[in-house]
Amino acid sequence: MTAPGRTFHSIHIVRDKCIGCVHCMQACPTRAIRVVDGKARIIDSLCIDCAECLRVCPYGAIHSRTTSFDALEAFDYKVAIPSTVVYCQFGPPATPHEILSALRRAGFDEAYDVSAVSELNTAATGEYLNEHPRPRPFITSTCPVVVRLIQRRYPALCGQILPIEPPREIAAKILRTRLPESLGLPSGRIGIVHITPCPAKMVSINSPASLARSYLDGAISVRDIFPQVRQALRQGGEDAPAGHFFSTALFSGVGMGWPLSGGEARGLKNHRAVAVSGIRDTMRVLDEVEAGLLQDIDLLECMVCPDGCVGGPLAVENRFLAKSRILKLLADTGDQAVVDQEDALRLYHRDFLSFGHPVEPAEPRPLDPDPVRAIRKARLREAMFARLPRRDCGVCGAPDCRTLADDIARGLARLEDCPFVAPAEAAAPPAGAAPARKPKEKKEEKR
Amino acid sequence: MRDAEPAYRRWFLVRGGDFAKAGAAACEIKELLKELGFDAATIRRTAIVSYEAEMNVIMYAREARLDLTVTPGEVRLTVDDRGPGIPDVGMALSEGFSTATAEMRELGFGAGMGLPNIRRNADAFDIDTEVGRGTRLDIAIRPDGRAP
Repeated sequence: MTAPGRTFHSIHIVRDKCIGCVHCMQACPTRAIRVVDGKARIIDSLCIDCAECLRVCPYGAIHSRTTSFDALEAFDYKVAIPSTVVYCQFGPPATPHEILSALRRAGFDEAYDVSAVSELNTAATGEYLNEHPRPRPFITSTCPVVVRLIQRRYPALCGQILPIEPPREIAAKILRTRLPESLGLPSGRIGIVHITPCPAKMVSINSPASLARSYLDGAISVRDIFPQVRQALRQGGEDAPAGHFFSTALFSGVGMGWPLSGGEARGLKNHRAVAVSGIRDTMRVLDEVEAGLLQDIDLLECMVCPDGCVGGPLAVENRFLAKSRILKLLADTGDQAVVDQEDALRLYHRDFLSFGHPVEPAEPRPLDPDPVRAIRKARLREAMFARLPRRDCGVCGAPDCRTLADDIARGLARLEDCPFVAPAEAAAPPAGAAPARKPKEKKEEKR
Repeated sequence: MRDAEPAYRRWFLVRGGDFAKAGAAACEIKELLKELGFDAATIRRTAIVSYEAEMNVIMYAREARLDLTVTPGEVRLTVDDRGPGIPDVGMALSEGFSTATAEMRELGFGAGMGLPNIRRNADAFDIDTEVGRGTRLDIAIRPDGRAP
């Protein structure tokens, strides 16, 4: 848990393993990493927990905080809501049904299929789009990184985030309303966790952007639970019916494809949807939306992992194989619908599926809170950039020359941090710029 | 020398037909305004105006110089292009009018919203055009200006 006012982050640098190279820093799409005194550091206010750094670190020095299975011992009743990505991590003949059973044999009291809830979300999305002809496009909120990216870099688009909770939260909310009564246990004694290939789900659980409190107690990574589930699959054993949210004990064809890019949009029949995946492409398209483009699109589905959640960094199976298995499952389930549309609309109109509160922009990070000083600093930044070699080597500890110039203007770095600037040259004030000052204490929260 | 109200000035060269860099200048301008602490509505309006202006150059002109001047009270944008000029400004300013080619439309441009969209989002708008020479737009957006 985190102190009030501070956002939880899943991604952390393991200082003992970090050798201070530049891989993570240069992979970071929000330029949130600096190398200081030979160790990488993450600037909290810029980090969106996308895990691009984790993917590229050659030394295993970037770690994501997820829930350990042992932590569930604190609960009397343990429930797993696996992402449908889990269904494609084990080779055939493991079916979704068998995987849910294996999760129970691995120690959960119950494991629920989330595909039906995804279908519920799709129905609510269609209805929301019908009721709200503007603005366009709405942007999906399933990917917690996209929400955090918008809060930080595209604050003007916060109002375009589709205000329907993602399936994982809706599923947990349904269980919170049902289980205490059926089990005769207080809600606090029932532990409900998501199983996911995504480090950022921990962020949306610990610091929700659209709820006062998450309905989930944690997120276990696919990587961590994989060995137990594989073991349980091999052993076989009792095969009681798995947990289903709706009376038809079937998997939803509409919801099954959600972990693939385009999977959310796929179930929408009467709306124009565009699916984007990958962090760089997501940012490119959001730039266009901010410039007023794509207004003829109803729904923009954005997932920052390549190919969608199936490409999540904490998955085990490579995403290409995993993708082909999901496509096979989709071919088997077809458009099989398991949710009664009237039930779905009833829940939607009762606001059961809605955000608790709108997503608010993050605290802006101007060069200076005073507009006049901000303009001076922008000019200083330009003057500093003109003196840098533009090699973007990262030796100074910033990912590129432009970011070093920005850090200098903010008082967080010095021109002489650049190995290509001669010390005498650095001491001379640049023409037309503010006089050189001693850098201030590094104030920003780093981890 | 220190001016009473400091201005930030920057210019961009935009080349006609350079679709690979479409929106690059507008994107930089938008990021800059965020760093200068402008409010979301002003940033949004400037993003739309500068994107449309940049795209007009890319689609129709040979090249243009895009001059940005920012003071705390105003974002000023002038776009001076060498291009075909606009024969009927009144027509070009009416919504839905477009001379975009099929190729441009295929790329998603040319809905005839460019100039009207710029004017709608600006607090001051001036156009000066000469057929065969080029077009000059002078646009101002003010944080306390009207919302579109």
